[in-house]
Amino acid sequence: MSFLVLENIKKSFGATAVVKDFSMSIEKGEFVSFLGPSGCGKTTVLRMIAGFESPSDGTIVINGRNQNGLKTSQRNIGMVFQAYALFPNMTVADNVAFGLKVAGKPKEEIGARVNEMLKLISLEHLADRYPYQMSGGQQQRVALARALAPKPQVLLLDEPLSALDAKIRVSLREEIRQIQRQLGITTVFVTHDQEEALSISDRIVVMNAGRADQIGTPSQIYNRPATRFVASFVGTLNIIEAIVVDPAANSVRIGNSVVTLRDPIGTSKSGGPISIALRPEAGSMAADAKGDTTLAGKVISSHFLGSVIRTKFDVAGSQVSFDMFNSPDSPLPQPGETVTLRFLASDLLVVRE
Amino acid sequence: MPLIGTLEFSLRMRRGAYSLDAYSTVFSDIQFRSTFGFSMLMALFTIIFGMLLVVPTAYWVRLRLPQMRPVVEFITLMPLVIPAIVIVFGYLRLYNSSSWIPFTGSTQGTNMLLVFSYITLSLPYMYRSVDTAMRTIDVRTLTEAAEILGAKWPTILFRCIFPNVMSGVLSGAFITFAIVMGEFTMAALLNRPAFGPYLQLIGANRAYEPAALAVIAFAITWLSMGLLQLVSRFGKFAPSRP
Ligand SMILES: Nc1ncnc2c1ncn2[C@@H]1O[C@H](COP(=O)(O)OP(=O)(O)OP(=O)(O)O)[C@@H](O)[C@H]1O
Ligand SMILES: [Mg+2]
Repeated sequence: MSFLVLENIKKSFGATAVVKDFSMSIEKGEFVSFLGPSGCGKTTVLRMIAGFESPSDGTIVINGRNQNGLKTSQRNIGMVFQAYALFPNMTVADNVAFGLKVAGKPKEEIGARVNEMLKLISLEHLADRYPYQMSGGQQQRVALARALAPKPQVLLLDEPLSALDAKIRVSLREEIRQIQRQLGITTVFVTHDQEEALSISDRIVVMNAGRADQIGTPSQIYNRPATRFVASFVGTLNIIEAIVVDPAANSVRIGNSVVTLRDPIGTSKSGGPISIALRPEAGSMAADAKGDTTLAGKVISSHFLGSVIRTKFDVAGSQVSFDMFNSPDSPLPQPGETVTLRFLASDLLVVRE
Repeated sequence: MPLIGTLEFSLRMRRGAYSLDAYSTVFSDIQFRSTFGFSMLMALFTIIFGMLLVVPTAYWVRLRLPQMRPVVEFITLMPLVIPAIVIVFGYLRLYNSSSWIPFTGSTQGTNMLLVFSYITLSLPYMYRSVDTAMRTIDVRTLTEAAEILGAKWPTILFRCIFPNVMSGVLSGAFITFAIVMGEFTMAALLNRPAFGPYLQLIGANRAYEPAALAVIAFAITWLSMGLLQLVSRFGKFAPSRP
């Protein structure tokens, strides 16, 4: 059995269902991100794991133990909050020691563990500072140390980086990931930043309106989005509207051309609409490019971005945008021009609504 | 200007020369000492019991009943709206010696009743100052942070919340102190030997001493205000904000 199991979790506040049938299993030592837009229920799921909210239905099991009915203070979970939430009246060392003190650990053990934790976040020299004397990034590292000090079974982080500026955000997320690997602690990380989720996670859960739309590795999520929502939320995938021609042969019509897909179309009927996703780096205009499929596209706009040229096309009524490598010899596509775009059929992905 | 006049007048008890005679008369007056001491004691009790009531209430309201905040605020404002005299008559009716809660039957009981009345009177100020201090920290998140680290209620309240609203508690305490020292109606009607009625009595019967007392009363108020300033400056635990 997995280390942390969420089984058919539901949560309603009054009449509004915020989390609808959420299930997933997380392995020991895994780093899982919950990714989704504001209000999709990420924090609510996290708070149910922490015990701040109780599920309306479903069970949460950690290390084989059902957590229903366990108080927050009995769960041995570490949590890092978006707003740091350090105790303003305590020094850095006292903040880190807090969890150990309430657990009644002996003094020497607390001292040793606090030093160890401060070393882990490289802030030994600031042990006697108060939170208000430190930068946001430093405060958040202290919050991480405070959460890890009592050796929790699970670490929860709720948008820990979103209050920091861009540069620190990147360096701190790498630091968090490196510390997580070093300690091998099972971690759930909540974010609405897809780049953040893609760069540090073992697996990502893309949440949409209280449900998990897709659970998978960053590469699966990015390259093989299961739903239209995942495709549009993660990265910059293009969506083309097509019509099913023959479900058995996997053929669809895009504008005037009929294209045969690699993916099975599934249950769609002949003549029904279907959405096809295309990564922005999948298309090419060069005549010698490899590609077994062609489509006609009318140039809408074209931008030179240095190493790539980003061109927006109108393909059979859908707007798509492609990034193509810059080559010094070829001129920029001009708006109004109609060109032939080449792809591999395997790059055309069927996405569910 | 009026204050300087008062100060000057209070020093002129001895004919033709400035002296502290008025002050020494006042300070040597047994009644002054006993009423002053009595009121101090009452103020102390008022502050202790008031804060034990107000801090957990304000905390609980912020944490669990945020939608009830306007209601609680309104309740705490009631003593400002209802004149003290109405409250006292209300108390007297409710607690007189023939009723089933005979607080006025004994001196102790009456003192307790007096403290209750003072608490009621200073409630708006105590609640406001504590609640304002709580606004500067994120009570809810701090509570949750402590909870998930394994802390229980008493620890959370006394180690994580109380120290961070200390500035509010102290400023509420000073205001309460000033109110209790100057309060007349309640003490007079309950017939307790408090400082307020004493001020009144002296004022009606003597010439120079009232001026001296006025200066003392001002000094007390200023001292409280000064301490208040000090506390708010000393409230160094600025909240950690993202
Ligand atoms: N205690 C509550 N009472 C009522 N509604 C709530 C409560 N907590 C959350 N909600 C509602 O549940 C929905 C999901 O909230 P949640 O905080 O889980 O979203 P989120 O995915 O974390 O969003 P964000 O990225 O903005 O933090 C929101 O519409 C919110 O208004
Ligand atoms: Mg959230």
